[in-house]
Amino acid sequence: MRPFEYVRPAETEQAVAAVTADPRTSFLAGGTTQLDLMKDGVLDPQRLVDITRLPLKGIMHADSRVHVGALTTMEELAADPMLRERLPFVREALLLGASTQLRNMATIGGNLLQRARCRYFRDPTVAACNKRNPGSGCAAIHGIQRMHAILGTSDQCIALHASDVAVPFVALDVVVHVQGVDGPRAIPLTQFYREPGTTPHIENVLKHGELITEVEIPLLPEGVLSHYLKVRDRVSYEFALTSAGVALQMEGDIIREARIGLGGVGTVPWRAWSAEDVLRGATVSAESFQAAAEAALEGARTLPGTAFKVELAKRTLVRTLETVAGASS
Amino acid sequence: MKHVDTPTRPGEATSEIPDVEVTLNVNGDPYRMRLDSRVTLLDALRDHLGLTGAKKGCDQGACGACTVLVDGKRIVSCLALAAQYDGREITTLEGLTDDGEPHPLQKAFARHDAFQCGYCTPGQIMSAVSLQAEGRAGTDADICEFMSGNICRCGAYPNIRAAIRDVVSEANDASV
Amino acid sequence: MTTLEDPTRTVIGEGVDRVDAPLKTTGAAHYPNDYTYPGMVHAALVGSTIAAGRIRSIDASEAQRAPGVLTVITHLTAPQLERGPMTLLGPSPPAPMQDDRILHYGQHIAVVVADSPEQARHAASLVNVEYEPAEALLDIEDPRAEILENPWGLDSERGDVSAGFAQADVVVDERYTTPDNTNNPLGLFTSIASWHGDSVTVHDSTQWPHNVRTSIAQIFRIPESGVRVLAPFVGGGFGAGLRVWCHTILTAMAAREVKRPVKLVLTRPQMFTSVGHRPNSVQHIKIGATSSGDLTAIEHRAISSVAMEDDDYEPVAAGSAVAYECPNLLTHDRQARLNIPCPGSMRAPAEGQGNFALESAIDEVAHALGMDPLELRLRNYAEQHPVLGLPWSSKALRECYTLGAERFGWSRRTPAIGSMRDGDWLVGYGLAGVSYPFYQVPCQARASLRRDGSAYVTSAATDIGTGTYTVMTQLAAECLGLDLNRVRFDLGDSDMPYSPQAGGSGLTGALANAVHMACGNLVREFLDIVRDDDASPLRGAAAEEVTASGGRLHRTDAPDQGEAYTDILNRHGLEELSADGRSTPPDPQKIGMATAGAFGAKFVEVRIDPQLGLLRVARVVSAIDGGRILNEKTASSQITGGTVGGISQAMFEETATDAGTGRIANATFGDYLMPVNADIPDMEVIFCGGPDRATTVGTKGVGEVGLVGMAAAIGNAIHHATGRRLRSLPFTIDQLLL
Repeated sequence: MRPFEYVRPAETEQAVAAVTADPRTSFLAGGTTQLDLMKDGVLDPQRLVDITRLPLKGIMHADSRVHVGALTTMEELAADPMLRERLPFVREALLLGASTQLRNMATIGGNLLQRARCRYFRDPTVAACNKRNPGSGCAAIHGIQRMHAILGTSDQCIALHASDVAVPFVALDVVVHVQGVDGPRAIPLTQFYREPGTTPHIENVLKHGELITEVEIPLLPEGVLSHYLKVRDRVSYEFALTSAGVALQMEGDIIREARIGLGGVGTVPWRAWSAEDVLRGATVSAESFQAAAEAALEGARTLPGTAFKVELAKRTLVRTLETVAGASS
Repeated sequence: MKHVDTPTRPGEATSEIPDVEVTLNVNGDPYRMRLDSRVTLLDALRDHLGLTGAKKGCDQGACGACTVLVDGKRIVSCLALAAQYDGREITTLEGLTDDGEPHPLQKAFARHDAFQCGYCTPGQIMSAVSLQAEGRAGTDADICEFMSGNICRCGAYPNIRAAIRDVVSEANDASV
Repeated sequence: MTTLEDPTRTVIGEGVDRVDAPLKTTGAAHYPNDYTYPGMVHAALVGSTIAAGRIRSIDASEAQRAPGVLTVITHLTAPQLERGPMTLLGPSPPAPMQDDRILHYGQHIAVVVADSPEQARHAASLVNVEYEPAEALLDIEDPRAEILENPWGLDSERGDVSAGFAQADVVVDERYTTPDNTNNPLGLFTSIASWHGDSVTVHDSTQWPHNVRTSIAQIFRIPESGVRVLAPFVGGGFGAGLRVWCHTILTAMAAREVKRPVKLVLTRPQMFTSVGHRPNSVQHIKIGATSSGDLTAIEHRAISSVAMEDDDYEPVAAGSAVAYECPNLLTHDRQARLNIPCPGSMRAPAEGQGNFALESAIDEVAHALGMDPLELRLRNYAEQHPVLGLPWSSKALRECYTLGAERFGWSRRTPAIGSMRDGDWLVGYGLAGVSYPFYQVPCQARASLRRDGSAYVTSAATDIGTGTYTVMTQLAAECLGLDLNRVRFDLGDSDMPYSPQAGGSGLTGALANAVHMACGNLVREFLDIVRDDDASPLRGAAAEEVTASGGRLHRTDAPDQGEAYTDILNRHGLEELSADGRSTPPDPQKIGMATAGAFGAKFVEVRIDPQLGLLRVARVVSAIDGGRILNEKTASSQITGGTVGGISQAMFEETATDAGTGRIANATFGDYLMPVNADIPDMEVIFCGGPDRATTVGTKGVGEVGLVGMAAAIGNAIHHATGRRLRSLPFTIDQLLL
C-alpha cells in the first residue's frame, strides 16, 4: 500500500469537494472493500477522505418508504423492525451477506459500491484486466470462472457484482440519493449500475466525487410476501453462486404483481424484468414458475466454469417462487 | 493518557505524507500515538501497543482472528485503519478478564477444549462475547450462523458451540 | 515402579483441560509473530509472477529509495548459500535466490527490509522485474513432464494380479482425482532472526525446531550450538511447518546483512506458494471380487505432482497394500515434475488422497455385489499385516467397525439408492475404513525433580494444537507420582533435548516413550542416591520394587516404607536430580509384530437437496483405535479436527492454478473455501482397542487418522442418497445438481 494522506472532514460538502477536486482522492467508509483493495494494490489513492463521521447515519420511516442514511451499517439496517415486518427479503439478504464483523463495518452506501468479485481484477500481478487497465484484456475469460457472471457480460468483462442486498433492492426499485458539488440528485438503483460492455472500468453512473447520502426503500404493500434465497457451497459466510430475491402480490392463486432480483449471476445486481412479465397475471404452477425461470436466464452467456449456473439459477428462482407462493397460500 | 513512541530514525528520508495523530481507548485506557496512516487497527494494537491477543490470520477480513469490539460491536480490525477509530472504545481479549478473573467464556473455552492451536481463539472468544450481547446465542442454529465469521482451521467448531451453550445456560440458570 | 497398567492411576487417559488453556484463552500464549525485539526491522518478499523462465533484469533502485528501506536483496546481491541438510523427511528445499531461474509462480526473488512492515510491503511492490518467460509445465498429465517412477521404493506386488481379476465375478476399474489443497494454518508463518556475532536466535512457525537449527547452521556455516530456535506456540501447521522453507532462510540472511533483528510475516497469498501444499493426484484403481465378496485382486496406480527441483514424500497408492487381505495386489506410485511451488505434507499426506480412491472403489464393489459395504470390509479384514505377514502390534479395526456401526445406527440403512429421506432432503449413509501407517523416529526427553518437589520435563518438540504440553505433563505426573500441578512440561526450544517433528502422527508416541524412560531413569537416580543410605527406607531398593505416588517413592509391597523426593534431595544436599530418556522405534522383525498405526472407521450421514445440489453432513461417528489414549479430551479434539479437515477436503478445498502463468487463482480466504462453523455438525468420537504392544506407553498418534476416510465416506453416502458416484474432489454443488 502506498502512503496516503488521511483526512476526516466534518461536513458532507467538504468531503464531496475534496474528492471531486482530485482524481486520486477517494472516500473511505466502512473500509471493507476500499482497504482490502488497497492492500492488494488494486486501488492506489493518494488521499483518503474518511466519511464515517458525517451525519449520514440513521433510518427514518415516512410515506411507506424507509430512508436509510448511507453510512448506516448492514447490521443496523437489518435490525430495523420495519424490515422484519414489511421487507423480509431485504433483511434476509443483509444477514446472509458476509459475517457479523463485516456487517458491523460495511455501510449500505458502500455495499452498493462494492467492487467486483473477480480474482483477476483483484490481483494487480494479472496484466489483463479491462476493469483495472482499460484495453488490457480479460484474463478471467480464459481463466477459472466459477465465481463469475453469466448475465450482462461482455467479451471484455465477466466480473460479478456480489452484493446480496442489492438484489432485493433492484427488485424494489430502490432510489439512491447522491450529493455532488453541483447538488443532489436521485437515481433509481435499476439505472445506477452499468453493464461492462466496452467500458468495464465504469461500473455506475456516479461522477468522481459524488457521494451516496441516502438509500430510499419503498415498502412492499401490506400482505405482500417476500423471500431471499442464497445458494452457495458453504452454509454460511460465502458469496452466492446464485441467489434470488422475490416478492409476490397474490390474489388467491393468481400472481398480481411480481418483483424479482437475481444475484450471483449478473455483472450488475440483476432485475429479472422478463420473468416478472411472465408471472404477472399467471396462476401459481410449476409450469409458470419454470417459464419465469427460463425467461429470467434467457440470454445467459456461459463459459466452461460458469455453465452450471444457468440451471442452478433457474432452480434457485423456482424454489424461491415456490417458497413465497407457498407461504402466501 | 499514555504516549506510545513510534520509532523513527533520525536523518532518514521520510515521505512527505504526514503521520496521523490517533488516540485509541483500549480496554479502558487511552493511548495517544503518531502513526503512519496505513497502520491498521490490528497492527496498531499488536505492533504499537503490544497487545498481541488479536491475531492476524489473513489480513483480508476473511478469517476473524483479529476480531475486537468497537463501542461494544465486533469488527475485523485488519480491515480498519487505526485513524478511523480515533477516540473510539476498543475491547480486546486482554480486556475481558475482570481483575484477573477470566470471563466465563474464557473458562468455558478451556473446559470444552474449544481450540487446538489456539490462534483463532482470541477472535472466537471476542465474537462469542459479542454474540451473547447481540442475543444470538440462544439457539444452535444462531450460534452456527453467527459464529461463521471466525474460521478455525483446527476444526474445533463443535467444542466452540458447546462452550457458548454452556455459558448461555449458566447465564440463564443464574437469572432464574 | 509405577506401571501404566496400575489400576490406581488417575492422571493418564483422563480428559483433563489443556495445561496451556489459560494462556491460549487470555492472549498470553505467544506465537512467532507476537514477538518483537528492540531495533527490530521488517522484511517483505517479492514473488515471481511467472512459473518458468528467467529473470532478465531486476531493478531495485526505486524500492531502495523508498522511505524506511534498509536493503533490497536479490539473486544479484544475495550471498551464496548451501542447500540445507538431508533430513528424516528427505532433502531440504534448494537454497533461495541463488540464480536467475524461475521454477514456479510465487518463487521468492527479492527481500526488502524496512523500518516498518508497511514500508517494507510497499517497497516490495516497487521492485521492477523483467522476465524471459518459458512455457510452464503445469498439468499433471502433461506428456512432457518428467516422471519419477516408484520414487520411494514403496511399490508393492504380491500374487498374480491378472489371475486375480480373471477369477473375479465383479471388477470395478475407475479413475479418481484429487486436487491441490493448501494447508492454510491460521497462523501466518513468521520468522524472526536476531544475530549476535555468529550466533542467531530464530523464532519460527515450525513443527520441528531442531530441523530449523540444523538447517540454519549448515546453510550459514555456523555451529549448531550457536543457533537457538524457539517455537513454544505455533498457529497450526498441518504439515506446512515440517520443512525449513526459503522464507526462514531469507529472514536469517537479511538479518545478518542489516545487523538488526528482522521479522518476516508471510501474507496469506504467500502461504499458498511458500510452505507446501497437498499435491493433486490422478489415481487408477481396479478391484476384483467374487460374488461371495472375497477380494481377488487390487491394483492401485497413482501419480502426484511435484516441483521441478525439490521433493515431496507422497506415496498415494502404497497404503492400499496393507488395507485388506487380498492375495493379488499391485500398487504403483509416480510423480510428475511441474513448474509448481513444491508440495509438502498436509495433514494425512498420501493417505488422504489414496484412501479416497480405495474406500470409494470398495463401496463400488459392494454396490455391484449387492452386499452391505460394512460386511464386505469385515469379510476381507486383514488379520495379519498383508505385506510383512506378521501379526499387528495392535489392531482393533474390527471393533471400530462394529462399535461404530452400532453407535451410528448403520443397521437402519436401507440399501436401495434414494430410499431414505427426511422431508425433501435425500438421506445417504456412507462409511470408510482407515489403516493409518505407523511412523515413529527417535526422540529424547529430560526430567528433573527439584528441591521444592516439582518436576520439570523438557523436549524440543512442538504443540501445534495436538495437546503435547498437556499429555506429556500428565504422563510425567503419572510416572513420577506427582500431582499435575507439580509438573511442568516445556517444549519448543532447540536447546532442549532432541525431538523429531510433530508429523506423521508419530510425535506423541515417540515422545511419550522418551518421557516415560526419562522419568523411570529419574526414579533410578533417586534410588541410586539412597542405595547405601541407612536413613532411607528405600535403601537398596530396585526400581522394579518401588512405586511413585503422592510426591514420594515407596516399596510397592510396603507402602509405608518410603520417602518423599524432597527428603532425599534435602538429606543429600542436592538442588535437583535429572535424567534423560530416549525412545527408538521398534523393529518389527525383532519384536515379531508389524508395528501398527492408528485404525479407524468413519460413518457419515449426508443430506442432499436434489434440486439445488446442496450437500450437508448431518452426522459423523468416528471409531478410532489410537492405542493408549493419554487424554480423552485432547485426543477427541484431534479426531474431531481431523474429521473437519476431511469434510473440508471432501466438500470445499481446491487450490486452483491458472493455466500459463501458474498463478494460484484463489489464494485468499475469501476464495479458497474451508468449512465455517455452520458447515460442521456435532459429532461423535469413540476410541476402541487398548495400548499398542510394540512400545512401552503403547500410544499411537491420532493427529491424522481422523481426516482419512471422510472423503470416501461422504462420497459413498452421496451415492447411497442419489445413485451418483463422484470420483473427483471436491464434491461441489455443480456435481450434485440432479
